[in-house]
Amino acid sequence: MAGIEQWSAAENGNGNAPVTAKGSSRELRHGRTAHNMSSSSLRKKSDLRVIQKVPYKGLKDFLANLQEVILGTKLAILFPAIPAAIIGTYCGFSQPWIFGLSLLGLTPLAERVSFLTEQLAFYTGPTLGGLLNATCGNATELIIAILALTNNKVAVVKYSLLGSILSNLLLVLGTSLFCGGIANLRREQRFDRKQADVNFFLLLMGLLCHLLPMLLGYVAHEGTPAAVISDMSLNLSRASSIVMLMSYIAYLVFQLWTHRQLFDAQDQEDEYDDSVEEETAVIGFWSGFSWLVGMTLVIALLSEYVVATIENASETWGLSVSFISIILLPIVGNAAEHAGAIIFAFKNKLDISLGVALGSATQIGLFVVPLTIIVAWILGINMDLNFNLLETGSLALSIIITAFTLQDGTSHYMKGLVLLLCYIIIAICFFVDKIPQKQPNGVQMGFQPMNNIVNAIGKRVFSS
Amino acid sequence: MGSITEPWAIAESENANATAKGSSRELRHGRTAHNMSSSSLRKKSDLRLIQKVPCKTVKNILSNLQEVILGTKLALLFLAIPLAIIANSYHLGRPLIFGLSLIGLAPLAERVSFLTEQLAFFTGPTVGGLLNATCGNATELIIAILALASNKVAVVKYSLLGSILSNLLLVLGSSLFCGGIANIRRQQWFDRKQADVNFFLLLMGLLCHLLPLFLKYATNGEASTSLINKMSLTLSRASSIVMLVAYIAYLVFQLWTHRQFFEATEEEEEDDAYNDDVTVEETPVIGFWSGFAWLVGMTLFIALLSDFVVATIEDASESWGLSVSFISIILLPIVGNAAEHAGAIIFAFKNKLDISLGVALGSATQISLFVVPLSVIVAWILGIKMDLNFNILETGSLALAIIITAFTLQDGTSHYMKGLVLMLCYVIIAACFFVNQIPQKQQNGMGVGSQPNNNAAGGFISA
Repeated sequence: MAGIEQWSAAENGNGNAPVTAKGSSRELRHGRTAHNMSSSSLRKKSDLRVIQKVPYKGLKDFLANLQEVILGTKLAILFPAIPAAIIGTYCGFSQPWIFGLSLLGLTPLAERVSFLTEQLAFYTGPTLGGLLNATCGNATELIIAILALTNNKVAVVKYSLLGSILSNLLLVLGTSLFCGGIANLRREQRFDRKQADVNFFLLLMGLLCHLLPMLLGYVAHEGTPAAVISDMSLNLSRASSIVMLMSYIAYLVFQLWTHRQLFDAQDQEDEYDDSVEEETAVIGFWSGFSWLVGMTLVIALLSEYVVATIENASETWGLSVSFISIILLPIVGNAAEHAGAIIFAFKNKLDISLGVALGSATQIGLFVVPLTIIVAWILGINMDLNFNLLETGSLALSIIITAFTLQDGTSHYMKGLVLLLCYIIIAICFFVDKIPQKQPNGVQMGFQPMNNIVNAIGKRVFSS
Repeated sequence: MGSITEPWAIAESENANATAKGSSRELRHGRTAHNMSSSSLRKKSDLRLIQKVPCKTVKNILSNLQEVILGTKLALLFLAIPLAIIANSYHLGRPLIFGLSLIGLAPLAERVSFLTEQLAFFTGPTVGGLLNATCGNATELIIAILALASNKVAVVKYSLLGSILSNLLLVLGSSLFCGGIANIRRQQWFDRKQADVNFFLLLMGLLCHLLPLFLKYATNGEASTSLINKMSLTLSRASSIVMLVAYIAYLVFQLWTHRQFFEATEEEEEDDAYNDDVTVEETPVIGFWSGFAWLVGMTLFIALLSDFVVATIEDASESWGLSVSFISIILLPIVGNAAEHAGAIIFAFKNKLDISLGVALGSATQISLFVVPLSVIVAWILGIKMDLNFNILETGSLALAIIITAFTLQDGTSHYMKGLVLMLCYVIIAACFFVNQIPQKQQNGMGVGSQPNNNAAGGFISA
């Protein structure tokens, strides 16, 4: 107790709080969130000298714009994977190759979408910018989910979203805390736990929404027809999704209006200057907007390839679809944020790292997941919130472990290491899990496991 | 951040001194947060009319009557009691009797709390505290015992579970939400030590519910159902005794050794604004024997209405198209907790979160660690096989409700988002029991969780 008191006194003595309150107005103006700041650490200053020599003004502007957008990231090297994937599709490359190339191509695109939304926020003002960020922050995941839905691959949707939450909570957060802990071994590492707490209530609420439909399946006894259960679970899931979206809206109000001060990443300290440089918009509004639309289309195209080839890749590589969707897809999809979170952790800016990892997990858990359910409802697909027992259990423990880890507002490398190891254990679990899932009809995933899984186990036992 | 924390810590420590001195008044009457909350629903009775009555005895009786009957803002709902009795004797529709009885229970619950507080003036703080700790959820206890006597074990389990859920999520959630909206520009603090004690106990209660449930899943195919039931029953009865021991320890902790944790901090200087409605009633308004007689009478009425409720719940369920589980888990507790609920919200509006928390968490702990094991032991005495195995859906909801609430209250501050999330969780759980139409076995309580396979399937076909 005394320790806390001392700490709060120290915090006060630093004069951090007033500085933040005044200094952060610049941040507020552009509606930047921790999420954005994180990916901005991957950016590099473009060198415009070559372009200055181009004679025509129109062409020069165009080239400068192109350079800002395409070459403005350290991941630009991965852009060639996009044409390669497209060419591969037309030249009849093998499907696993297309899968791999598309995944590689998605990585820089995810980072660029975040860059573009930030650029647009310069023009739209902080609130609209914040909304835009909150919606487009995980655009890749959302697009993959919706495309997989239209192909009726409900299991892939559920797995990839679950994997994204797990990867944010355990992998991204774990590596950030670990690297930060190692790099700042002798220094105190502090963060503001209020911001983290809000994310955990919401994640726990999301967990409740996943848990109840699953438990409904277990309440049923043998006499209950499967149709009755899936009907109940479906109704419950749709109602829960609406509640989840309401809570997400409330979260946005909380974050962008009423309790803004909790979420302001404190990056105004002097020692740190590389992300503060880009104070003005580097591209125009309409140019940014059209780039955003274009990027989204390319993401959609690549996601389409990913969704179409995932089963084939799974067979060729000998990995289960669940492993690929839960582990591989999110690692690639979150690569940019991941790198950013680690870089900020190295600089002992844990608030930003936490904001990235937890904010992203909350966004997927409380926005992308229910939105997917509602899109499925509109498309007439029976998708519910019932992940399977194994998946829900992993999710529950990840949330609870992470929440406990972040209880005291300080960090050291051990915390990061434990989170990282938890992720490895979960990855191993899905790696060894070879029980086939019924793919075509999503509602089945989890509902009547008795017959099918028992049969599957029986067959394996007898065949071995 | 720091600039706000520090003055608070100082203020709090000054406040602690003030509390230690100033609270002797509170101590004397053994008032707990629970009582203070329902007292906010009281109104000063206007005795002018009665002063005109000539005969002294009649005057006393009338003023006594007025204090007890009209001393609450819920007095209007008393009308439902005679209506329910009339409806019952004329055999009107059973759903109507159910509804009227439920409405009639709401003011009675508040009045019992008032009367125990009055008695505490005469008995001294410790006995008063004990009385409060026992009668605070008298309604729930009476309903549970009557439902047990009618062998409706499922209703007992559901209504107790629902009462815990409603206290943790609905009462607490709406208090934090309203408090957060009303004090949106102010910091809202509470003392988390008090809340923590409740959570240990609730988690312990959860363990006692979880183990009998797991016993069922732990068995392989060969174990006969009767063997599992026997194990689960023995475990539940042993756990109940342990839970009661824990509750007694909690009372000792709360009333003797660590009293200062639980003092509602209402002696602050800023209090003047609402002195009038809480602190005014310093002296007992009725005598000891009169209060005692009223308490017995009220309890009898509660028993009568509870009896109606228990007898008509299935009919109401059928004619309203709601499952018994939904009615017992969601509707019954909302009515049973109405008075406390209103009180908790009123205190949250005044930024007195400690009192709101004390009401909601104290009530949840009391039900979980006192009413539930007591019901199991009463069932044991009556020869009814009731165990602590709620079903998996109910136990899962309970577990998450406790965990979410515990996380919410970890840092000692509050804002409206916390309350909103808790309320939305309650909505989701309510939706879950609303859509859950899988029939439960009513006749044999063990069927609720232990042996669903054979019998419940039969029940489904016959339904």
